[in-house]
Amino acid sequence: MFDTAREGHSTMAELTTIGFKPGFSMLHRLDPRTKQLLIMVLSVVCLRGNIIFLTLISTLLILLFHRSSLRLIQFVREIRYFLFFLLFIFIVRAMSFSEDFYPVFIIANAREAALVCWRLLLVVLMGVLLISTTRTADIRASLIWFMKPLPFVNERLAATTVGLVVRFLPLVLFQAGEIGDVMRARGIEKRKNPLVRLIKFTITLFRRVFLRADDLVDTMQARCYNEYRTLPELSFTRDDVVAAGVCVLVLLTWVIL
Amino acid sequence: MSIIQTNKLCHRFSDGTQSLSDVSLSFKEGEFTVIAGANGSGKTTLLRHFNGLLFPASGSVWVCGRSVKKDPSAARRQVGMVFQDADSQIIGDTVYDDVAFGPENLRLSHSQINQRVTQSLSDVNLDGFDDKSPHNLSGGEKRRLAIAGVLAMTPRVLVMDEPFSNLDYPATCTIVSQLLKLHEAGHTIIITTHDLEKVIAYAGRLIVMDNGRVVRDGVPEEVVVGIEQYGIRPPCSIQLGKGIQPWLS
Repeated sequence: MFDTAREGHSTMAELTTIGFKPGFSMLHRLDPRTKQLLIMVLSVVCLRGNIIFLTLISTLLILLFHRSSLRLIQFVREIRYFLFFLLFIFIVRAMSFSEDFYPVFIIANAREAALVCWRLLLVVLMGVLLISTTRTADIRASLIWFMKPLPFVNERLAATTVGLVVRFLPLVLFQAGEIGDVMRARGIEKRKNPLVRLIKFTITLFRRVFLRADDLVDTMQARCYNEYRTLPELSFTRDDVVAAGVCVLVLLTWVIL
Repeated sequence: MSIIQTNKLCHRFSDGTQSLSDVSLSFKEGEFTVIAGANGSGKTTLLRHFNGLLFPASGSVWVCGRSVKKDPSAARRQVGMVFQDADSQIIGDTVYDDVAFGPENLRLSHSQINQRVTQSLSDVNLDGFDDKSPHNLSGGEKRRLAIAGVLAMTPRVLVMDEPFSNLDYPATCTIVSQLLKLHEAGHTIIITTHDLEKVIAYAGRLIVMDNGRVVRDGVPEEVVVGIEQYGIRPPCSIQLGKGIQPWLS
């Protein structure tokens, strides 16, 4: 007699790639500490890698995306504003001004600008892979483990802050999608001034997100939230050793190239 | 002995609105109470005082003989609250994580947490949902997940704010059955609603609120007479002169 019917509207999990997706892929099985270590190493290495190295990392990440059952096209759609930001960076770095103050496109600068954008995109992609395949509680537990040796740092508070940010990313995207729909339904396209549209969208989004944050705080308080809660059990397995091996190989490739 | 008691409870919102005025109530262990009232009558505000989410401007609230203001954590352990919006109550990334959130806060061991989560999911017939994303559940399932999350903390009182809002007929039937099951198991249940139809037949006590005050309090058969003056629709069976009839067939 228990209902199994689904509501007609899309759910948060369907609308956003950026957020944990339960699964059993290799990335899901890896210890969160291993994943965070890999991200740290690969991000630093990425920022100095050449085209061959970036191609190698990109291929690896696309493969991991596919293996984790995440939809790359949806992800690209969701980060479209970030892609505009990357385009802006590209234009700023690739363009220069002539002696007569005319904007000039310089090929040599464009190559370097494209590399910078590519590197930033890869770092974001790695972050999304981490968030999509790791429970927020595990990310928090892992951060506590990493920060514990650091003096003068309240590792639990810091990890909780990061955990809440991770928890809120999909929520913000979901709210943004909903507000976008509502505004379109009420003819926001008729307002030609993009600044007016942006202001109306942003103010509504912030109000909604803050209200949801208030609700979340109430819910957490109602269920006795405290910083010293039982942490999830973390354990290294054979998969972590394999992942670390792959990481070392990537590093060696970087050194050689 | 009263499990929850309020003495001349008053509350005022920051904009100056008086939301509760001189509310003095006492709830006994094992009672099934319905608090009814129109929108803005103060039902939710009252419930939030039981759980220590709000504190009185004047007066006092006591849970199991302890002041909620002095020890809100103790009140939250004893009074489990299910919010009106089930979506905003989702904290975990999976159904298991969501239910485990409360026991983890109580600093239980992993085996105890596992045992409580399994039991709570079983109590609300969500066995096998452990690894599912809570956001993908239906409205009724989300509401049951919220109840499981509260049950995992083994509270003595279960407080539910508008548990039937946004639910279709089958999901509402499920929640009503669940409530009856929990009451039979010995839980004290307090629910707020403006839709009396669904639960009035099962409640032992009906409290009516209007403009932040308790205007009626007693057995449902007596309190329900003339209740429309407070903006509450009487059950159909009352309007048809058939007395209070159970909603579940």
